[in-house]
Parts: sequence; C-alpha cells; structure tokens
Amino acid sequence: MTMQKFPSNVNSVKSRFTNRFLQALKKMNKNKPASPSIRETYRRYHFIRVASYASMASVIRPRRAWSYATLWKIRNRALMKRSSRARSLTRNPRKDIGFEQVSDLRKLVPGGEEMKICRLLNETIHYIKCLEAQVEIMRNIVDHCST
Amino acid sequence: MAGEDATVQLEKRNEEPLNYRDGNMSSQWKLNGNNLTNTSMVINPTSNSMVESLACSSDSMADSFAPPIWNQPIIWQSLGYCDMNVKNNASTSNTLGNGTSIFGPVRSNAMLKGSTFLPDFPVMLPPSLPHFPADSGFIERAARFSCFGGGNFVDTMSPFRISESLNPYTGDSLEAFMGNGSKSLPAMQSQRHEINAIECSKEVSLPVELGTEGSLIKNDKMIENFPSSHDEAKYGIGVSAHESDEAEFSGSGFQEELDDAAGESSAKGLGSKKRKRTGQGTQINVNNGGRQLATESAKDQAEIQQQGDQNQASSKPGGNRDKSGSQGLDLPKEEYIHVRARRGQATNSHSLAERVRREKLSERMKFLQDLVPGCSKVTGKAVMLDEIINYVQSLQQQVEFLSMKLATVNPRLDFNIEGLVAKDLQTGTIQAVLPGLGSSSVPLQGSVNPQFSTVGGRLRESTSQVHCAWEDELHNIIQMGFNSNDPLNSQNLSGSPRLGHMKTEH
Repeated sequence: MTMQKFPSNVNSVKSRFTNRFLQALKKMNKNKPASPSIRETYRRYHFIRVASYASMASVIRPRRAWSYATLWKIRNRALMKRSSRARSLTRNPRKDIGFEQVSDLRKLVPGGEEMKICRLLNETIHYIKCLEAQVEIMRNIVDHCST
Repeated sequence: MAGEDATVQLEKRNEEPLNYRDGNMSSQWKLNGNNLTNTSMVINPTSNSMVESLACSSDSMADSFAPPIWNQPIIWQSLGYCDMNVKNNASTSNTLGNGTSIFGPVRSNAMLKGSTFLPDFPVMLPPSLPHFPADSGFIERAARFSCFGGGNFVDTMSPFRISESLNPYTGDSLEAFMGNGSKSLPAMQSQRHEINAIECSKEVSLPVELGTEGSLIKNDKMIENFPSSHDEAKYGIGVSAHESDEAEFSGSGFQEELDDAAGESSAKGLGSKKRKRTGQGTQINVNNGGRQLATESAKDQAEIQQQGDQNQASSKPGGNRDKSGSQGLDLPKEEYIHVRARRGQATNSHSLAERVRREKLSERMKFLQDLVPGCSKVTGKAVMLDEIINYVQSLQQQVEFLSMKLATVNPRLDFNIEGLVAKDLQTGTIQAVLPGLGSSSVPLQGSVNPQFSTVGGRLRESTSQVHCAWEDELHNIIQMGFNSNDPLNSQNLSGSPRLGHMKTEH
C-alpha cells in the first residue's frame, strides 16, 4: 500500500463519511427517545462524537495507523470499558530529541505513540485532512438541522 | 599475447567451481584471480578484447555471482586496493602502477549494470605474482565476495586467515580512505564484506524495481511508498545503476561499511562500542537483520560524525536500541532508495542518508505548512510543530463541539420529523434555541473564519467561547427559553471546566 499523505479522493471520503455518520445518527435517534435531560444529551454527545470518529476511521479502513488506532481504541472501549487503558501505558514511549512538541503531537494523533517521527508526520498529514473533512461535514449537518 | 593467454587460462579456470580451500597462496591467488576476472565488472577501456573473451566465460558464472559481482570493483576502486598495494609494495610498482592506472579511471567509470567489462588486472598478475602476496588479502576478499553465492563464508575465511595477516590495508591507505586506525579484524571484516555484498546485491535489485533516479526528491517520493522502518539507513548506501558518481558514492558507502568492520580501533571513539556490537550482531545475522545492523551501525557513525544541525537521526547500535529520536523511513526491508550525492557535499553514505532523512522531514513539514492555515510565515520546525499541534487540537475540539451541537439539535430534528406533540414546548425551545443558535452560530462562523488565520491560542479561545455558548443553550432547552446568551468571558469559567471534563473523556 502506497503511503499517501492525503486521501486519494477526499470527496469520496467525505461522501462515505457522511453516509455512515448519518446512518449512525438515525440509528441513535430511533433507539432512544430524545429526552432533553442533560445526561441524555451528554450521552448523545458522547455517542455522536465516537460515531463521528468511528465512521471516519472506518471509511479510511485500518489502512492508516491513526485510523487503525482509533478503531482499536473504540473497540477496546466497547469491550473492556476502559480497563484497556492501563495496558496501553506499558509500552515504551518513544524518545525524541530536538523537539518536545513531537511528544505532544504523538498524544494528539491516535496511534502516534510508537511511530517514528517521519511516519508520525505522514500520519498527521492524513489525519488533519480527514479531520477537516469530518468537521466540515458535521458542520454542514448541524447547519442543515438548525435551519 | 600474454594477456590473451592469461585470459584463456582464466577462462578455463572460470569453469571450475570456485574453490578456496587451497592452502597454497599462489594457487589461491590464481583462483582468486579467476574470481577477480570472472566476477569483476571493472571497466577497462584498454582491454576490450579480453573483456569479451572473459565475458563469455563469466556468463556461466554470472548468474550466481551477478548480484555481488558488480560491487566488487567498487570495493576495489573505492578502497584503492591498488593504491595500497603501491604503497606497500614498492617492488611491484610497475605492475601495480599499471593496475592503479587501470583502476584509477575505472573508478570513475564503474558500470554496475552487470556489464562484463574486465580489467587488465589478471593480465598483470601472473608476471607479478611474487610481488602480490600482500595483495592477496584483498584478492581473497574479492574471492570471498565472488563466492557469495556459495555462501560458505566461514569456510572461505579460514584459509585466508594467514594471508589476512598480510592484509595490505592495515596500512595507512585505510586511513587515507577511512580515517581509521586500521587494525582490522579479519573475521569481522570478512563478514562485514559478506554483509555488504549482500546489501549490494540487494541494491542491485532495487534499480530494477525503482527505476532509479538521481534526484533526492524523487527518491523521497519513492521512499514514501515503502512502509518499513528497517531500511532507513540503506538508501544512503544504495547504489544506482546509472551514474558513475553514484558508483563512487556507493564505493564510499562501502568504505563506511569497512569503517565499521575496522571497528574498534576507529578514531570515532564513540561509535566503536556500537560497531562492535553491530559486528557481533552481523555475525549472527547474515541476512536482513544483519544487513540492517550493519547499515544502522553505519548510520551511527554518520551521526557521530555529523552531529548535524538538528540531529534527529536515530542511533541504533544493535538495531534495537533507540538512543535518540528515532526517525525512520518507512521502507520495506528489501529495498533501497538510491541517493545521489550533491555537488560540493560529502559523499559519505552516512551524511547522505542523514541528508535524505532531513530532507524527507523538511518536505513533510512543508506539506504540513501548506495544510495548516496560517503557517506560511512561520519558519522553524519547533514553531511549525506548535502550530500543527494547535491546529490538530482545534480540529478535535471542533469535532467535539459539533457533536455536542448535534446532540442537542437532533432531538429537535426528531420532533420536527416525527411531529411530536409538545409543539409549543418544542417551538418554545426552538425559538429559544434558534436565536441562541443564530447568535451562537455567528460567533461560530466568526470564529471559523478567523480561526484559520489566527494562532492556535486564539483559536482555542474562540472555540471555547462557542462551547460556552452552547452550554448556555443546553440550559436554555431545559429551562424553556431562558436565553442567557452571553457567549463569553463571564461564562468561560463555568463552561470551560465542564468542557474540559468532557474532553478528557476522550
């Protein structure tokens, strides 16, 4: 698989993400009656956030490290309810010389803990592109809903 | 002509399977001479006829020896065996002088495409046989290289130990080339050579795959295509089949490998430990792993040498330890990226690999600079990284914010779609919310546009402000139209902790 710094076709990514995300939203709305309690809203917020990341990651498939890491985290959360986090800390962190910001970037990009800097930058580029698409679509949805 | 006779003899010997177990130096030498002629691809512009004749004989052996063969002349050229011989054997100055004269121009014209050009060297050798005992060391090594296809390195080494003591390049010529103290460990050296030859064999295959180009940029693009972290060092040592400069570069790369082989006594001090370890490692792993170790030790030396401006390169002595920031090219194990040394720059393989790595990183940083808005004026990797981090954080916050928005908006959608009963309530909430939405969307849009032109700190501020506005909206929904839509600073204290808490749910 060639290392592409960007999704080869951003529009297809966007459309696929839109489809999956809207499906997730519909599913969520079907199941639960939308009670306006804070807790319910919070739960929905959480669900929607996870759904957006999951749908974007599933569009990208586990081809990229960050999408794979995202899906892995979500699955682990679903399965283990956060007990898996302790496990993830046992890995040896990568040490970077020269830039302290790289460690921050590692925390931001999912799956970036153990990559080398070069690959981390690749993943960051791809991740930023997908995040931008995700944000754009969600904003469109919200604008559509709010009108 | 004596040369032709020698070639005929060599042809006959070429048919034999290579056998290095003779204790006799001269016979060894002859066989090695066969191997030399058989396997060397050095161009000899003055002996084309012999070239052709030997080419025919070498074709039969070419298949098994093709990969490592073509590097041998590089070794010879780059290591300046002939030069060393000149230095060490004054008596053989004539023949060696001829030899050096041949290898001199040859060095610049090494064709590594598997062409079967052959040197005058075997022609010279027979008459000067008595003068060559000191040179047998490298001949044996060449022979060892040529029997690479056989793979019995340990076996080939043992008969050569004696002659190894006569190793000509324990002398100052090594220093001339490698700046080393020159106490070579024959075992490590030979195995290093093995490994290097293996590497070179792999390097040969690469041009076929990549269609090598000299430009670093294209190499970078090719590098992207290979997602393995093991061969990061190899592209610095890879040799293109095209250019003689690259041949020189590969020769120098080989010098570096021999540097590693010459190891503990090197003047590089720091790296000596690593090299020893890598030597042992390579002894163990005469395969991909060994190759990586050798190359990585080479890279260690590069880093020691250079301690470059922003030395982010990884030093991996055993291939397992990350001493410093580990960066890697994502290359598959079997492939090399061919790099060309630029004019006026060091052709050291380490420096070249280092440079390629730096350029890859800078290329990616440039790409990120284009991607992240507002970074075009920023220079410097640290600031760029800050910007990138801020941008990613802002994007993630936007996702959270929008998902929160959707969480609140959706029930309304459902109401609209399903036409639920409590419409006055809903309309009340809608009317309460809409102005809130309208007013908050304005700051949202207001924040959206400037966010792409502002520094990340301000961006975070604006998004948090919008978040706080939405917190207010939530309360509005519950409290039925009590629209306290003061988006901002006064609410920040109440809003942001909650948002922060929510974000930590990630």
